[in-house]
Amino acid sequence: MARHNLSTVIAFEFRRTVTKRRFWAITLILPILVFGLGGLIIASNVSTAKTADQQKNARFEFLYSDASGLIDPGVAKEYGGTKIASDAEGVEEVQIGGTPAYFAYPADPATQTVKVYGEDAGVFQNSKYSAVAQSLLAASVEKKVDDPTDVAVLRGDVNTSTTTFKDGKPAPGFEAILPALIFLAAFFVVIVFLGNQMLNSTLEEKENRVTEMILTTINPTNLLIGKVISLFAVGIIQLAVFALPMLVGFLFFRDQLQLPNFDLSGLVFDPQKMIVGALILIGGFALFTGTLVAVGAIMPTAKDAAPVFSVVIFAVVIPLYASGFAISSPQAPIVQLLAYFPYTAPITALILNAFGSLPLWQAIVIIVELFALSVVVLRIAVRLFRYGSIEYTSKVRVRDVLGRRPGRAEPSQRGGA
Amino acid sequence: MSAPTLTTTEPLVHIAGFRMDFGRTTVIRDLSFDIRRGETFGFLGSNGSGKTTTIRALLGIYQPTAGVLHIDGRPFSPEAGERLGYLPEERGLYKKESVIDVMVYFGRLKGLGAEQARRWSRAYLERVGIGDKEKVRLDKLSGGQQQKVQLGVTIMNDPELLILDEPTKGFDPVNRRLLMDIIDDQKRAGSTVMMVTHQMEEVERLCDRVILLKDGVSRAYGTVEEVQEQFGGTILHVDHTGDLPSSAAYRILSDDGGHAQLEAADGADPAAILRSLVEAGAGVTRFAPTRKSLDDIFVEVYGAGATEED
Repeated sequence: MARHNLSTVIAFEFRRTVTKRRFWAITLILPILVFGLGGLIIASNVSTAKTADQQKNARFEFLYSDASGLIDPGVAKEYGGTKIASDAEGVEEVQIGGTPAYFAYPADPATQTVKVYGEDAGVFQNSKYSAVAQSLLAASVEKKVDDPTDVAVLRGDVNTSTTTFKDGKPAPGFEAILPALIFLAAFFVVIVFLGNQMLNSTLEEKENRVTEMILTTINPTNLLIGKVISLFAVGIIQLAVFALPMLVGFLFFRDQLQLPNFDLSGLVFDPQKMIVGALILIGGFALFTGTLVAVGAIMPTAKDAAPVFSVVIFAVVIPLYASGFAISSPQAPIVQLLAYFPYTAPITALILNAFGSLPLWQAIVIIVELFALSVVVLRIAVRLFRYGSIEYTSKVRVRDVLGRRPGRAEPSQRGGA
Repeated sequence: MSAPTLTTTEPLVHIAGFRMDFGRTTVIRDLSFDIRRGETFGFLGSNGSGKTTTIRALLGIYQPTAGVLHIDGRPFSPEAGERLGYLPEERGLYKKESVIDVMVYFGRLKGLGAEQARRWSRAYLERVGIGDKEKVRLDKLSGGQQQKVQLGVTIMNDPELLILDEPTKGFDPVNRRLLMDIIDDQKRAGSTVMMVTHQMEEVERLCDRVILLKDGVSRAYGTVEEVQEQFGGTILHVDHTGDLPSSAAYRILSDDGGHAQLEAADGADPAAILRSLVEAGAGVTRFAPTRKSLDDIFVEVYGAGATEED
């Protein structure tokens, strides 16, 4: 019966959450923003690249002088250039409209400025002059080199592959950090987007005056565990929806989005890191959910409970601000403090774990701490719900409920005596 | 009077020495009573007399300060296996969900299969005249319609014990009768009913036994007749043409246009009173002795200020 009721609660809570328009509105906001931003970036990048190409390849008649001797006359001719000897003549020709542009190449273009003069074509179009001047210089030098490999090297079209060693073995790089960082992202997203829902999950029974019906139908422990599990399932749905645009962007629009060329096959899934990450995620989730559910049980309305949510977000954000410390100085006292304080532990420990700075013994301590405290908090939440949620209009005094001896709590003001 | 049922003397609900303190305030003092299997039990009292507190303590929502509160021989637990239907005074269901979803959810929690709960719910909704509302969200229903849904949720597991805290509150007379019919059906099906109400005519019609609670103390307990007997006072309805003389054998409660109500003194014989009135030339044209109604007793116990509704 208990198991049957638990699965009934999970199914009911999950279904009614994911069939709500509000849920999808909140869930889809992030992917829509990501898609929108991605589209904007792609459009912007394409436009910028296109404009740069157009400007670089723009063809117009121009004059140039070359103190460096680097400009190849043949190449210059192809670009539409005519060499002159005097700077003053070039500038004057531009001023009187005799030529659209004049480029003055100095003796050492590497250290001196190439001076470009042109007739005004508008803010954006004016950049074509410098684009052509640079392109002509580069093409002339490349012709001098006259070797495709040398040209490619000079252009910087070179790929590197780095292998570092730790304890005599190749050390994993970013490929080893990324998989474990997924747990950090998952925890952050789930708490930020589901926190409010966690808070409201017991408030709903209270605000709808359904508590008495529920308490005489199902054991409150089963009810709350069912709610926590359904929230976890909802969180997985949300993560999948959030991850989708990122995955699509990476797989199909990597170049347009100018994402780093990352070889997914190179990812290193260190079993210890993954297991530790998953356990910290689950333990942290259970702790935060239990806490928010408990708060919901003692607050009369969602409005009264709202400020508590800010405190929760604060607890999640603080370790992120300290993430630089966690990465560079994992043994710093502040990092260690944040790693052991239960409400800042999940984020801090997940960062340390991803960057390989969380020894196994410390991971075990933190995981045990999170799970043990989750059980305690959940038991308190059940007690608060059982004896507190009947107080429909007033805030429950936690001390009364937790230190409850028979009949110590104040009676409901509305429930009648 | 209520429909005939198989009432036994074996108690389904047993409350003994129940005391409930809230802080320094004692709300219930040494309350003891039983509810027998199959009977309809009226739990009566004015606002603040301790009825809802007693029910909540019986159902484990409150922890009693002292005493024994048992259902079927043990403290109540949702998972102990008793089929309980409880309609609390504080009405409410999941307002953002559809009627059928909420009913099926509670049906499942009460041990029905999903399809069984759906079939039962549809039949019930048809019976109470809101069959077309099954897919409507609860907050889109009127208050009376929501109460019908809540009553349905309460009785859908064919409860052995049905606890109804002011079940007719907010119902119009037509729906009140419909609800009473449903409660009658439950009783016929063998349910034991514990009912809190301020409607004394309902109590007289439905209840086998009652308890009157005042300030957390039992003031009367037994069958309706026993309670009426306990509060004594035969009421005499007298139509007359002459003057009514004063007498130690009765007290004149009202006398308006030849229609009078007299309360017979303890031990006074109505026949002797009639004889004395006739001999005194009161011109008696009608003389009808009746027992005090529960309504009269309620007003007597709680005073005229006792309200009808919470």
